[in-house]
Amino acid sequence: MRAIKGVLLTCDSAVKQILLTLNEKEAFIVEDLDETHVIIAPDKVERVRQALASELEKNAFSLEANVP
Amino acid sequence: MDTSTTKAAREDPPAHLTLIVDLNPLQWELSSQASNDTPLSLSQFLAQLMIFINAHLAARDDNTLAVIGALPGYSVMLYSTDDSPPDDEAPARHQANSFQPFRMVDGRIASRIQEEMEKSTDLDGKTDRGLVGAITKALCHINRVNLLSVALTNNPESTSAMAPPSSQSPRMLILSISPDASTSYIPLMNSIFAAQKLKVKIDVCKIFGSDTVFLQQAAYLTGGSYLVLERRDALLQYLSMCFLPPASLRKVLATPSQDKVDFRAACFCHKKVVDIGCVCSVCLSIFCYPITRTSCSTCGTRFPLQTLKRLGYIRQPAAQANGRSKPNGTANGK
Amino acid sequence: MPAPAAEALPGQHILLSFLATQSQISLTRLYSKPSACLALFRLLNALERQIIMNYLWLEGPVSSNTMDVWVTRDGRAPYEAAMRTLASLQVLPSPKPGSNMLQLSPSFKKNFRLALTGGGDHMSFGVPCEKDLAGGVNVEMLDRYAANCWESILHFMVSSGTDGRASRPTKGILYLLDRSGLMAGQGAPKITSEGFQFLLTSPHAQLWTLLLQYLSITNERNIDMVEVIQFLFMLSTMQLGQEYSTEVFTNTYHSVLEDLIDYGLVYKRNPNRIYPTRLATTLTSGSSATTSSSAVSSQAQTGASLSGNSTVATAGGGFIILETNYRLYAYTENPLQIAIINLFVSLRGRFSNLVTGSITRESVRKALDNGITADQIISYLVTHAHPQMHKNNPLIPITVQDQIRLWEQEKNRVQIAEGYLWKEFTASTDYNLVLEHARSTSSVVWENEQARMFFVTPEGHASCRDFVNQRMREGGGFA
Repeated sequence: MRAIKGVLLTCDSAVKQILLTLNEKEAFIVEDLDETHVIIAPDKVERVRQALASELEKNAFSLEANVP
Repeated sequence: MDTSTTKAAREDPPAHLTLIVDLNPLQWELSSQASNDTPLSLSQFLAQLMIFINAHLAARDDNTLAVIGALPGYSVMLYSTDDSPPDDEAPARHQANSFQPFRMVDGRIASRIQEEMEKSTDLDGKTDRGLVGAITKALCHINRVNLLSVALTNNPESTSAMAPPSSQSPRMLILSISPDASTSYIPLMNSIFAAQKLKVKIDVCKIFGSDTVFLQQAAYLTGGSYLVLERRDALLQYLSMCFLPPASLRKVLATPSQDKVDFRAACFCHKKVVDIGCVCSVCLSIFCYPITRTSCSTCGTRFPLQTLKRLGYIRQPAAQANGRSKPNGTANGK
Repeated sequence: MPAPAAEALPGQHILLSFLATQSQISLTRLYSKPSACLALFRLLNALERQIIMNYLWLEGPVSSNTMDVWVTRDGRAPYEAAMRTLASLQVLPSPKPGSNMLQLSPSFKKNFRLALTGGGDHMSFGVPCEKDLAGGVNVEMLDRYAANCWESILHFMVSSGTDGRASRPTKGILYLLDRSGLMAGQGAPKITSEGFQFLLTSPHAQLWTLLLQYLSITNERNIDMVEVIQFLFMLSTMQLGQEYSTEVFTNTYHSVLEDLIDYGLVYKRNPNRIYPTRLATTLTSGSSATTSSSAVSSQAQTGASLSGNSTVATAGGGFIILETNYRLYAYTENPLQIAIINLFVSLRGRFSNLVTGSITRESVRKALDNGITADQIISYLVTHAHPQMHKNNPLIPITVQDQIRLWEQEKNRVQIAEGYLWKEFTASTDYNLVLEHARSTSSVVWENEQARMFFVTPEGHASCRDFVNQRMREGGGFA
């Protein structure tokens, strides 16, 4: 029995897959719990958050570009 | 926005109250006689009424009020919130001791009643009460208030969660001291139906005298309360407990309901209150007996001769029992 | 919502929850003024008001059973909630243990009766003065004055002092904004996320939020809080457009008066005389700050008419037209309103009486990042919708509503919780034992029976560790 310090990320399964991909570039996942939960290292939270945000941003399309 | 709906459920729309005050001087004279258990004079009554009015106005800034007086032979609008405010009173130090809107409304009603009471000193030949006229005036006024509030919000039937409950819940409170005038049965019933249509509750407080059959029916049919004042020294307590709560609150705090209602009607021919009468099967007019013998005096329908014979309204050698009974159904007003 | 409002029960006025925390002595003193009783009465909800009326004219105490029989079965819950509120305000104190006799607080009963009947010699409704016809003071002018004062505060907030047109409020107001957490930072204060939320609430709610803050610092300033409330209540029962004498005011009243002039609640033209503005006279009307939209829109109307010269805005209270294609047209030229709309709309064009723009993902994201919620944006749009919009059902296009909510959800796709993961239990009994303990402290965030792992909050972790250690010492042991 042991306990490890970490940050629990609760997300949907799509985000989970993105996280796994990101993890391949730079490992931060400490424990892969299940479809919607992962534990990540506490010191990498901010970095992951930003990486995830920019990744999600790629999927957002704005009307702005079309409007003159 | 789910929170806003619960808030809306807690909050009530502004209320409109129309007061109809029976100002029959003769009855008030009788009421104030010392021979009564608890004599109540008009001025004592008005003092308590003013406090009741203040309580209604105190509840919300946008609560509205109309007061109509029913005098022998006529009715008159004593006060309405839409009246333009009177000329400014001279400021005085003692005014700091009362809330200005109360002072204004109370002063106005009191002086108007004074005026009317002085006018109506001669009572000759004016047996008819202005009650029906007052109710009709009240309904017209309520109708106008309703239309106005709809027009103001410009938002008739928006069902969006934030739609303001624009319609007020109008009520009418009749403070009655006179006995029934059977001549007013038909117009009164018509006003009751109009009130039902407008969804106006009619509350009745019988302050003096015996039960009035018609007003009892008015309260019953519109879902209002009918109350006979048992202890007249506690008038204000009765008024504030039974007649102050708006319709929405009566689901939480029960108001007295009638356990037995006298449904008797008055006949169309002689304006007498009848237990059993005859009803025209076409227009439902009520008669104590078929006066014209052959046809209905309201719609002209010919009554079947056979039935009239059978019921003994037309004398025949072989007539059966001479009871006055129903030709086409019971006439108990229901 | 800023802190004080968070404690309010749904639908209850924020002042009432503040008063409920005050001592019985203060409240009894507060009720010594008839105007205070009347103003408090108007802040209560309909049921609470009716219960007061039921008790008001009774001379002696009555058994609670007598009154309970009036309550219908469905009405039980709201009735009891209302009785709790009245007890907490010491208006209708709960009966002593072992008795069920109830009566209104004597002070409240006596003075509320006086308020309804008039009379006495308490001077609590304000001493009116002769009309000063030369002054040119009328309702319109007072509205304009109040609007200027109040909007300059809001404008300062929204621009965080960077806009040169927004004049810097007085020290007192700055202190208040800082204390209430609406703005932060010394010297050059910046608006906080609470401040952004504050801007989207109704003027009535805004006013009370600041006034409550004002009340909470009265102690530091050695001002008697009860008197301040009495004074606010007195102002709320005064009539708009009437000038009142300040001769009967106490010292406290005079010192508070100076602050209220800054806020725009009071206008002072002649020495020893004041005019209450609409901000003051509507303090206790419209029964609650966070009330149903009828009151909000009437408040919005006040707010809009406060905006001075924009005629369209005053007409129906609202000025915003929103189309299903996310385009927004706001008929206003008021810099404050434009600044507020700019919080969540990307503005595109500005005309003499109109600004256009559209609600975009970026603009809403910016608002969400500032701490504004989707519900607040939508409720702002609803309260300020142009009368033309009222033809639509629902008022705000459903696509736009949903999209704003979706954008908010999108932002919250990932939830983060710090804590500790417990794992590698050798026996399921051990796992269950420790988990049971963690559950008892309700600190479990996630658990998985098969993997024998669970995640607890940091507090829960400490407790679990102690639990395990103690068990080890006692020799209970783990496998």
